[in-house]
Amino acid sequence: MSTGDDAFERVFWQALNDLKQGTDKPIEEYLRLVPREDRTELSRLLADVLLARGPAPVPDAPESEGYRRAVAVVDGVLGSRGSAGILPGALKAMRNARGIEPERVVERLAADFQVEGEEGRRSLARNYHRLETGSLLGSKLSRRLLQSLAAVFEVDPAELLAAARPARNGPALKSVPAMGRSAGERGPASDLDRASLPDPEVELVERLFHGGPDA
Amino acid sequence: MAQFDPIEERAVEMLDDLHLEAVRAETVGDDDERFEFILWNLCLRGVPVIERVCATRGKALGLSEQEIELATEDAAARMLLRLSRPEPQPQVHALAAEIAAACVERSWPSEGGGGPRLSPQTPKLRLVSGLTEAIESGKARPNDWESS
Repeated sequence: MSTGDDAFERVFWQALNDLKQGTDKPIEEYLRLVPREDRTELSRLLADVLLARGPAPVPDAPESEGYRRAVAVVDGVLGSRGSAGILPGALKAMRNARGIEPERVVERLAADFQVEGEEGRRSLARNYHRLETGSLLGSKLSRRLLQSLAAVFEVDPAELLAAARPARNGPALKSVPAMGRSAGERGPASDLDRASLPDPEVELVERLFHGGPDA
Repeated sequence: MAQFDPIEERAVEMLDDLHLEAVRAETVGDDDERFEFILWNLCLRGVPVIERVCATRGKALGLSEQEIELATEDAAARMLLRLSRPEPQPQVHALAAEIAAACVERSWPSEGGGGPRLSPQTPKLRLVSGLTEAIESGKARPNDWESS
């Protein structure tokens, strides 16, 4: 690379940096820094950049608390993107912003899916907590669960479905074995078998959170 | 967030809103590692609109400062959800304004059952001195619904 090329590139990036930081100088000052024969090309490049950038923003009031909090939400939700996409972070952020306690969400889910027993409710609470903390696979969440959550948070179910798409580099999770599957041709369950069978409500909850879209 | 070539990051930042939305729609469903960075950039453009709409409409509706901030947070999270959809979305400023307005205008617990909300401002009344004398002397007439 020649010295002229080097200077050209350096000045171009300097102009971009200045533009980005709002400290840009008149274009002539940048043009003066490159050899005469390169000025037309640099001016054309900078004109393209300015055209793409559009009008400069109007100087605004200093960042408000609301602005800072909104950016913090975006940052937090994107930062927590994982095996269930941005869904965990978004649910938590909306819940906090709307002052909804996790227990209320669990109550609503329990009502929607007619989970009345203690075990079933405990399983709902546990799984919802795991969902919000990003420990579940988005691809295993059932559509009817997302529909119910969408009603709680007053959003379109399609948005929750899209948000649950796993991030590319999300942590690899072990899949949870589906519960209550048919064991094939077997005789009637013995007393021992019956004792170890999962609670039907727990089984339902497991299907909702781990059984895939059609569960 | 995935690390990128700074030149590519800069190229994304320099895109205008329409181009950035087009790139979002292109990368959203492709498991493209640039998606997160694109989403972040779009949101940063929408946040000032959210903040402004929540502040102005929230004040007009009589929400407290804290309620306005909560509506702002709520709108930011909802904007992320909307921008995760594979379908093309409106220009980010319009989208942010629409979501922010909905978040501010939802029913708030302080509304007490969602009844009509009255303006928090006290009416500005001005006493006019000498009005009684003016009426008595015929210089001014009391308001009469039949004649006015």
